[in-house]
Amino acid sequence: MNAATQAEKLKVGDFNARGAPAPIRRVYGEALLQAAQRDPRIVALSADLTAATEIDLFRDTLPDRFFQVGIAEANMIGIAGGMARQGDVAFVHTFSVFATRRCYDQIAMQAAYPRTNVKIVGFIPGLTTMLGISHQAIDDVALMRALPNMTVIEPCDARQIPAAVAATVAHEGPVYLRLKRPDGPQPEGELPLQRGRLALLRDGSDGVIFASGVMCAAALQAAERLAAQGVSVAVANVATLKPLDEDGIAALAARCGSVVTAENHSIIGGLGSAVAECLLERGVHAGFERIGVRDCFAEGGSTPYLLARYGLDAEAIAAAMLRVRARRG
Amino acid sequence: MDPSNPAPASGARAPDRAAARTRDAAELRRIARALRRQVIRMIAPTGQGYVQQGLGAADLFATLYFAELRLDPADPSWPARDRFLLSTAHNTAIFYATLAARGLIDAALLPTYCQDGSVLEINASERIGPVIEATCGSLGQGLSVGVGMALSARRRGLDSRVYVVLGDGELQEGQVWEAALAAGSHRVHQLCLLIDYNEMQVEGHVDQVLRMEPVDAKWAAFNWHVQCIDGNDIEALLAALDAARACTDRPSCIIARTLPGKGAPSLEGVLGHTMKLPPAMAEQALAELQGDAS
Repeated sequence: MNAATQAEKLKVGDFNARGAPAPIRRVYGEALLQAAQRDPRIVALSADLTAATEIDLFRDTLPDRFFQVGIAEANMIGIAGGMARQGDVAFVHTFSVFATRRCYDQIAMQAAYPRTNVKIVGFIPGLTTMLGISHQAIDDVALMRALPNMTVIEPCDARQIPAAVAATVAHEGPVYLRLKRPDGPQPEGELPLQRGRLALLRDGSDGVIFASGVMCAAALQAAERLAAQGVSVAVANVATLKPLDEDGIAALAARCGSVVTAENHSIIGGLGSAVAECLLERGVHAGFERIGVRDCFAEGGSTPYLLARYGLDAEAIAAAMLRVRARRG
Repeated sequence: MDPSNPAPASGARAPDRAAARTRDAAELRRIARALRRQVIRMIAPTGQGYVQQGLGAADLFATLYFAELRLDPADPSWPARDRFLLSTAHNTAIFYATLAARGLIDAALLPTYCQDGSVLEINASERIGPVIEATCGSLGQGLSVGVGMALSARRRGLDSRVYVVLGDGELQEGQVWEAALAAGSHRVHQLCLLIDYNEMQVEGHVDQVLRMEPVDAKWAAFNWHVQCIDGNDIEALLAALDAARACTDRPSCIIARTLPGKGAPSLEGVLGHTMKLPPAMAEQALAELQGDAS
């Protein structure tokens, strides 16, 4: 057996998720390719993570519109800005932490300020990687949210990825798309996504959980547990973190009274902060707690282990809701 | 194909729509001298600005805008135009003076330079309009944008070229070398980089900050076509731009040595990044810059 065959045989499904099945379904990669086949403006840029960001499909099918720029994220954003100014819709790909924190100034100058069609696609959000704090994006939403003109989208799971890609293409201007690869069992079907609108996943009357990304599933489990205790809780998927669906959030919070936010991100600057700002400015007086990484760095480990260890699971969400309700009396 | 872009050109470059283009070196020297006077007049009211860099780069700007760039003053967004990016976006007195002289911005705006509310900010921004192809100013970014523009032009089959001016101190930014590596690797031959090598940065001589040399060998090692010239020699600039255009397998780098304060003997060689220009000095410089002699 030659070395190349041997290397192919030993390939892991995904090098940041231990034991992930091989191959992982390339839901994003397929959606982007389909969009690109319809829209000739779309180009894809990779920073040496072509397979891990699922654009190997794009590379192999549309090689003239694929650009390998090497491990150089700041340069990748600049190149994308230049391409976008020529009329391209430039999708850049790497891990979330490198797609945001590593090249923040470049994004501000070449994507956000000039409102170019630069679409920043970041993978392994939050704690969903065993690669440790260097690879864990716990402040990416906060960073992107703070940039004028930026849209921030995070689908709840693989079902919403095709709609997230469509919304990203449809919006003229820069978008940060925060994606988690479907490396475990996934529900079937597709979910819609409308930029700037939340989606109610479950209704309830005693409280509401505003969740994003992988925390939507945890929020639904928490709601199940609470229902068993006679507490009726709504769950909303806030897939657009900016612009925030302020009307939807204010209405649900006003109706339900008790609010918990749940995000795979620091509690500072992300969904929890955005919801708090919205409710205070709208004059909605609700009980409130944030579930997320509590202003600390984490560590490398499996995703279920890390989510439980850092208090980002259904148990923590349900407990938070009960505390909020108890405080309201 | 994006409808906003022209059909792919085959072979020869599309005709130049520019009206006032010249390759006459004596004429370009006269233009550069007029630009230098304009730089002094723009900076004199506030008495502070990037006067030394402006005077030093006047020959480079005159040659680029009056001899080299394919553009249409009546239509700054002409899709087939060559792109120009000033990565050292603070060197605006000479940039705006050139744009006005070439008819790309209204000369009546020049007296508003650096005034509150003016689009002519000290760092060029795209508030001015399409003649600013990208907002730079955060150093090290312009070359990456240029690489992207050139790659996109190539994939669309366009023959427009991309010109980027970087400062020498700016080469200390790591992103420059990321872009250099990518451009060399992708053989982006439509890209022409001009390094305004005035040996000056905020804290003084570049070599007092970090040892820069050898600069030409660095670019050659990144697979660029490299030329070292006197950036205040119009004939040398014209020849270097010709050679850069003729190079079709690599991006081109022209290392243009420029003298801060060039043209006004009282200012020549003074290393002042943000230097005061008191009225008496401005008057003297203007007097020195009268006439057509280079």
